[in-house]
Amino acid sequence: MSKKLSALLFALMLIVSMGTLYATGQQGEGEAKPIKFGGVWPLGDITGDQAAKAAQLVVDELNANGGLLGRPVELIVIDSELNPEKGAAAIERLATVEKVDFFVGGMSSGVHLGQIPSLKKYKKVTMWTGAASSTAEAAVGEGQDWYFHLHPWDYNQGNSYVEGWDDIAEKYSNISIDRWFLAYEEGPFGSASFAATQTLFADMEIDGEAFQSAAMGGGDYTAVLQRAKDYNPDVFIWAGYGADALPIMEQAKAVNFTPPLFIGAPPGWPSDFGDSSLAENVTLYGMWAPSISKVSAVSKKFQDAYEAKYGETPATYFAPLGYTSIEIIAKAVEQAGSVETEAVIKALKAIQYESPLGETISFSPSNVISNQGFRNQKILQWQNGSQEVIWPFAFATAEPAYPFTR
Amino acid sequence: MNKKKIYTIAGISAALVLSVILLIIKPTILVYGIQRAGIYAAIALPMALVLGIVHIVNLAHGEMMMVAAYLSYFICTTFGLDPLVAAIPTGIIMFFLGLIVFKTSIAHTLEAPELNQLILTFGVAMVLSQTVNLIATSQPRKISLDYVSASATIGEVSFGIYDFIFPALAAVFLAVLIYFLKKTRIGKAASAVGQNPRGARIVGINVDLTYTIIFSLASMIIGVFGSFFITKFSIFPAVGGTFTMKSFALVAMAGIGNLPMVIGASLVLGLAESLVMSVPHGAGWTPMIFFGLIIIVILSRSFRSKQ
Repeated sequence: MSKKLSALLFALMLIVSMGTLYATGQQGEGEAKPIKFGGVWPLGDITGDQAAKAAQLVVDELNANGGLLGRPVELIVIDSELNPEKGAAAIERLATVEKVDFFVGGMSSGVHLGQIPSLKKYKKVTMWTGAASSTAEAAVGEGQDWYFHLHPWDYNQGNSYVEGWDDIAEKYSNISIDRWFLAYEEGPFGSASFAATQTLFADMEIDGEAFQSAAMGGGDYTAVLQRAKDYNPDVFIWAGYGADALPIMEQAKAVNFTPPLFIGAPPGWPSDFGDSSLAENVTLYGMWAPSISKVSAVSKKFQDAYEAKYGETPATYFAPLGYTSIEIIAKAVEQAGSVETEAVIKALKAIQYESPLGETISFSPSNVISNQGFRNQKILQWQNGSQEVIWPFAFATAEPAYPFTR
Repeated sequence: MNKKKIYTIAGISAALVLSVILLIIKPTILVYGIQRAGIYAAIALPMALVLGIVHIVNLAHGEMMMVAAYLSYFICTTFGLDPLVAAIPTGIIMFFLGLIVFKTSIAHTLEAPELNQLILTFGVAMVLSQTVNLIATSQPRKISLDYVSASATIGEVSFGIYDFIFPALAAVFLAVLIYFLKKTRIGKAASAVGQNPRGARIVGINVDLTYTIIFSLASMIIGVFGSFFITKFSIFPAVGGTFTMKSFALVAMAGIGNLPMVIGASLVLGLAESLVMSVPHGAGWTPMIFFGLIIIVILSRSFRSKQ
């Protein structure tokens, strides 16, 4: 090929490339750059699935109303698969490839511990929906003003249980809560629950026994139920996983164990647990239940919108938490008039947000971090297939059914 | 009397003596132990069959049970069948699934080193659990049935009566397998293949077909057990792994090819676990008891064979 022809071809390529670049630039000028939220939840689990769906619901609502600051809103969700390494990789990808403005998400404390170093590296405004373990709070550490935590820490939850049961025992004189038996799965979650219960309810009689959760290859609870039956407690609690829920009820019935209060404390319940007759009058802890819509207009609005969009009832409190994580940042962005980190942090610190979980929340320091949102769990009870709130009394949707019967 | 019979009688006698002691000390331990042993035996028997005749350690054994449980769950929820009825279609479907798995993968590694077979079946296990995870998610599922909580009270002792279905199921599996191996033409051929595949081939037995039938039959038994499994346990994609390990340990303890001894080994382990769990704060020791007993039995067998 002659030198002249080569030069001509090179010039032609240069002109075409510059033309393309110019055309691309012209095309981009007309469209506003989207405000991006990066979410990480375990999508194979019902908690993560519903939290991500609820977060997308807010994004759709914002876009239907013209976006945020006149810009479209985008949510990019990555599945953590309940794996700390995948959860950390998701944060890296959201920060570097997707270039999101805000981080939202979270369900498991173990996954969050893996993500915290990456979150600290980017210091973007983060609104976390999960991780109850105070070890995660310690890992975040003091002075991280960009970090906002919605879910109560384990000690917040424990304190609210003590307060709740004291209130219930005071209001309903027939309810006795002096003798406790805790059946706990033998892993870190169950053991920590037992230790915390012993500390929190130190002035009461407490005994406990470990069992191997179905999630870890177990599933036979007869021995622990027999021990509990011999102890004859006022309150029986089991701290395991969703896979234990129905089998433990069936086996308790089979060994004829009917304590006056039967409490289940798994992180998430199977979606069809309420359909079983064995669920009746089982007490549980949670931040929200669909029944709260009876006493909260904000909760009702959220639930109606969720059901209209997805054709299912949100079954876990992670759905309204996911919704809250996006909407609360959106409100702060509107108030700040900017997505700049400092401006959004300032707006979030001053916010009073009426949440679909019932309460109006604001952020204040907890034991370690500066911005803690919710502090209380609620005490609920399965009644006629639904989770009814029995405490706090301000949100109560039903009287407690007592004693637990079959 | 040969040594195998002596060990079988010794094992059953030990289990009986332990049972009588437990009946006197605390009857619930005996009840729960027998129920527990039934579950172990029912799931270990098909693995013992495959290991004894095809000589394959199937690390996808528990995962095949998990797939069967999901199949049964979806049959029950779609057609409104009881899991005990759904055991029939589930067993049939699992027969053909076993056939496909065997013909497409395991059949090609029968002459390969054992490590290759282990890696292959481990891969099959991963494929099965991840496929179910993608389709059904990790959300635990369980069919709630009234009869599962049926209770009986004798004196001051209350216990569930439904769980006795597992020892009964194990006994049925054993009886059917013994009848099949001793009385049917295919079964006799399978026994011959298990003892000496080369000799069996020389006398005209179709060894490849025998392997295929035995693996598919074991898959069918797993299918039936999967339907019973969902009556008692929640199911999720990772539920099978533990049962693979426990089944293999029981088969090793019973001795390869000794189907009746699988029942004896399950009984000893079930009762021992139940005894440990009855001790306050003893539940955490059950895996130690399980594997401790297996180590003792295998080591003692090893010493005996050296002598």
